[in-house]
Amino acid sequence: MNTIIIDGLSFALPLFIMAIGGIYCERSGVTNLAIEGLQGFGAFCGALFAVCIAPFFAGDSPVPFYLAMIFAFLGGMLFSLLHAMLCIRFKANQVISGVVINILAMSLTEFMTKQINASVFQAASNKFVLGVSARVTVPGISAVPVLGAVFTSLYPFEPVIALIAFIAWYVLYKTPFGLHLRACGDNPHAVDAAGIEVGRVRLIAVMVSGALSGLGGICFAYSISANFSSNIYSGYGYLAIAALIFGNWKILPTLGACLLFGFARSGGYELVKILEMPSSYQDLVMVLPYVLTLLMLVFFGRKNHSPRALGVIYDKGAR
Amino acid sequence: MSEYIIEMNHITKRFPGIVANDDISIQIRKGEIYAILGENGAGKSTLMSMLFGMYEPDEGEIVIRGEKVRIESPNHATRLNIGMVHQHFKLVSNYTIAENIVMGMEPVKKTLGIFKSLDQRRANEEIRALSEKFGLEVDPTKVIENINVSMQQRVEILKMLYREAEILIFDEPTAVLTPQEIEFLLEIIEGLRRDGKTIILITHKLEEIKKIADRCAILCRGKLIDVLDVKNTDTKTMANLMVGREVNFSVDKPEAHFGEEILKVEHLTVQNEDKFEVVKDVSFSVRGGEIFAVAGVSGNGQVELADAVAGLLKPSHGRILLNGKDITHSSIRSRNLEGMSYIPEDRQNVGLVMDMSLSDNLALKNYFEAPFSRGAVIEGEEFVRYSDGLIDKYDIRSGQGSDTIVRSMSGGNQQKAVIAREIELDSSLLIFVQPTRGLDIGAIENIHRQIVEQRNKGKAVLLISLELDEVMNLADTIGVIYNGKIEKIADAGTLTPGEVGEFMMGVGGRHEKA
Amino acid sequence: MKKHDWIPVFTVLLSLILGAAVIALLGKNPFQAYYNLLQGSGLAPKASYAGHKGMITDFTSFLNALTPMLLASLSVLIALKAGLFNIGVSGQMLAAAFSATVLVGYSELPAVLAKPLVILIGFIVGALVGGLVGFLRHRFNINEVVSTIMCNYIIQYVVSFFINVFFVDPVSRQSKNIGAAARLTLVDVAVGDYKMDIPFGILLAVVVVAATVFLLGKTTLGFEIKAVGFGSRAAEYAGIRVGRTRVLAMMLSGGMAGLAGVTYYLGYFASIQPRVLASTGYDAIAVALLGNSSPIGIIFSSFLITVISKGSTYMSSTAGVQAEMASALTGFILLISACGAYVREKINRWKENR
Repeated sequence: MNTIIIDGLSFALPLFIMAIGGIYCERSGVTNLAIEGLQGFGAFCGALFAVCIAPFFAGDSPVPFYLAMIFAFLGGMLFSLLHAMLCIRFKANQVISGVVINILAMSLTEFMTKQINASVFQAASNKFVLGVSARVTVPGISAVPVLGAVFTSLYPFEPVIALIAFIAWYVLYKTPFGLHLRACGDNPHAVDAAGIEVGRVRLIAVMVSGALSGLGGICFAYSISANFSSNIYSGYGYLAIAALIFGNWKILPTLGACLLFGFARSGGYELVKILEMPSSYQDLVMVLPYVLTLLMLVFFGRKNHSPRALGVIYDKGAR
Repeated sequence: MSEYIIEMNHITKRFPGIVANDDISIQIRKGEIYAILGENGAGKSTLMSMLFGMYEPDEGEIVIRGEKVRIESPNHATRLNIGMVHQHFKLVSNYTIAENIVMGMEPVKKTLGIFKSLDQRRANEEIRALSEKFGLEVDPTKVIENINVSMQQRVEILKMLYREAEILIFDEPTAVLTPQEIEFLLEIIEGLRRDGKTIILITHKLEEIKKIADRCAILCRGKLIDVLDVKNTDTKTMANLMVGREVNFSVDKPEAHFGEEILKVEHLTVQNEDKFEVVKDVSFSVRGGEIFAVAGVSGNGQVELADAVAGLLKPSHGRILLNGKDITHSSIRSRNLEGMSYIPEDRQNVGLVMDMSLSDNLALKNYFEAPFSRGAVIEGEEFVRYSDGLIDKYDIRSGQGSDTIVRSMSGGNQQKAVIAREIELDSSLLIFVQPTRGLDIGAIENIHRQIVEQRNKGKAVLLISLELDEVMNLADTIGVIYNGKIEKIADAGTLTPGEVGEFMMGVGGRHEKA
Repeated sequence: MKKHDWIPVFTVLLSLILGAAVIALLGKNPFQAYYNLLQGSGLAPKASYAGHKGMITDFTSFLNALTPMLLASLSVLIALKAGLFNIGVSGQMLAAAFSATVLVGYSELPAVLAKPLVILIGFIVGALVGGLVGFLRHRFNINEVVSTIMCNYIIQYVVSFFINVFFVDPVSRQSKNIGAAARLTLVDVAVGDYKMDIPFGILLAVVVVAATVFLLGKTTLGFEIKAVGFGSRAAEYAGIRVGRTRVLAMMLSGGMAGLAGVTYYLGYFASIQPRVLASTGYDAIAVALLGNSSPIGIIFSSFLITVISKGSTYMSSTAGVQAEMASALTGFILLISACGAYVREKINRWKENR
């Protein structure tokens, strides 16, 4: 039971932070299929930095990990500028832009990983090996049955994500900026008429999305494989999209969706283990989030509303 | 300081291919209601958009309160205390009234002394106080999607007042309102004037101007024709100036010869997406050789009525018969084949596929029949031959003939294409909805002539128009729609425009009964 | 219309210059690298060849790789014409190929029966998946972008499960190789002194291109698809059944994706790697875009993208440029071509104002 909660949380939280990024982007009216690429590029930047500074720190020091998170955050943000440029400045189709950015991120990071390994580290390798992240258990509270598992063997990123998620929630729903951002996804003309620049709000939203995706990406790189390689592109970004659709583009329901996906995954793995089935049965577990999302859309599609101006290119002149 | 609060001197604004404003100068006094009158496309909105900072003039200067200014953005205009209610409201549908009004100038509180956040309670209180002050009662906590158009307009007005606007621009404010709502709006505007606001009213409705405006600038095809004192001018003079020549209010129309009943609508009820009944228990019939015109103020269900007859909306009750055959549940295709032509209100999104060629659009309703296709295979040359013929016959002007992408054609020629296609179907019933909207006088006369021609050929014509003049000129029979119900059906000759107007406002026939 | 067909050419040129700059920065000769790409694709002679190999064998092997890309791009195109984004080409490819592998690939059927059957099954299974997506859009108003993404992963994991449980080759960790009879590419055929791969799929692809041109330009269904894609409300008004047209277009799109799938997994390869979606499906979106959304344009664009990817191995071994540079180059092309619409609009506006 504890394993399910521990593993479920460590999967759900990075997913959640990426989904929040997606919510920011899409609530501002910009379709974001680029999360997959953004999280990969962010993870690449974080991992690269971690590998570069690793020699200067003791093997078990958590500092490189936190620095990697910061650089993943910045890297994702940087790469998201491409999406912003294509969608906002060049008025490109946002679906196409997302697909292109995913392809570009994948090819660029693969190329650069190999090239940097070859020319800087003189190694023919297609991955950056990261240290195994230390895990912390909060003394006292972790002893509580069931609930205690939430505070047991946490990755260091989990509290960070929880904090950032709370800030993101607060900004989106409680501040004037959040009000402007959500309005951009419903009626950008109203925002413009109120004297707020739609392009600027959307730019920030896309950048937030990139940054949070990058953050989620480096967390997955640490928690799942302890290295960076092209394996990072195994669909976490798309899963985050499924989660935010499942959560109806709202942060709290999306948290629910992420937890559901996370626990379904860890629970399924556990079940497979207990029943001593071959590990290939895990694949059936992986299907669950996508099937659930589709079924949800089929049965509750009418209650599920994407932002009204989502994907619509904003043109001041047009009404 | 000059006696004028606004002076726009020698303003010229060009767009690709047209001069929208040509050397226009107007001066507006503080505290007056100044109307800007003109037809669609006369340049009214462009002129006011420049005052509101949405465009900058190519030539000329704007002087506000005696100071020459370059208004760079709507934001800048707001700082100059200029506000505008646009024709299409700019509201966020899933926000409350208060959120919509304060957006961009939110009252802010500090949570825990550091985190800035929106002070929802203060916003609600401020809006409530503001709305009471100006007699524009609203419930600030209501969400925009749940309030009606007139209430939304109030929100737009409050948005300006919240920003302490002194100069209020209204762009066609009555187009979407019912008569009572118009009455109330005009009262509000009067009230705002009493509070010392300066009001600019963009409109093409003479009655409103006559009722409340002090002065009126008349624009025609981008030029300022005249500025009149409303009290000393009659509406006829204004109308003539507006269209730039003597208005010929009559169309040559031989006496009617009614034939068989072609369209019969029985107890038709139509609901919109929100399950709200927009057409209620409507019954009428149209005979061959008859123009049945539905008069009414915009938004009273006439478009939905036409869509239901054409099959684009499913009625919830009632029957529709075409040539005696029940088509209530028929597909759109089978209605067309049965003999129905439809010139829809929205020619750009509904009537035409804008990114296809003219020849494809002209064959849009019969591409699947001989000679355009044999089996499932299309005969491209037939499309072009057919379309070349129609281009000649209906004088459709386009850059590259049949190959022209429709989007690149002018509005008038787009409408010609739609009408050509629909008339050539040789249907027994033709439905025209707002066929002359946004077109110039020449095009309007041409379309009116074609409508009468079809009627003379013995076709049944269902005409839906918001222009009372158009209805009075063309109709053999008039049906007046109000609030989704047909209030009155009568021979055109037996009703005066004034009587039709009363029915349009839902107050017709009262004195008869009394 | 015709005037702006230069934009893709400029896009490609600009990308090649950008790529050349990167290669030069790494201290390699970009011209040599690009020439290597041509050599690797059998479009230019190499300095030396291994036994039984030559330019012609490189070229047939290139055609082998081109086939799925061409078909996948056509799949994207046909959906795009109906105003739909088929992001799920990869999933449809996999579903179709897996079905064909299981039903025919492991059977003892003779080649004359097996090969057409593979193609047929590929088309039908792809069409079913595509049709489902179209149906979800029509009946439940579920955006096809969302449903195709969901389908991609559902298919990926379900197929992976079945392969790992029933059909896995313990050495390669992939599905067991299919029999030669079912494979759409003849491998190592001795022709004269050469041993070459002969892809039947390329003939199929050529036929499908021609069929697509015909469908879009000369049939009522093509007319309906275009009308729905350009203006669904106007199409409905004109009496076209929009929902039915969308479902049909998605079925065709899925069917073509299925063909791409069988030529990829049962032609270019002979097995399926579990838990991986072919990147072809995503690349195809960009190829369709670069090809100006015309079937003929797609021939050129998929040719180009395949030259880059196919020639990269040779470039890597000869010029010492990492093979991944090729996919980065593709990425540049896609990035720049995504800006194409904007450039086109700017040019139009500039022309109007002149």
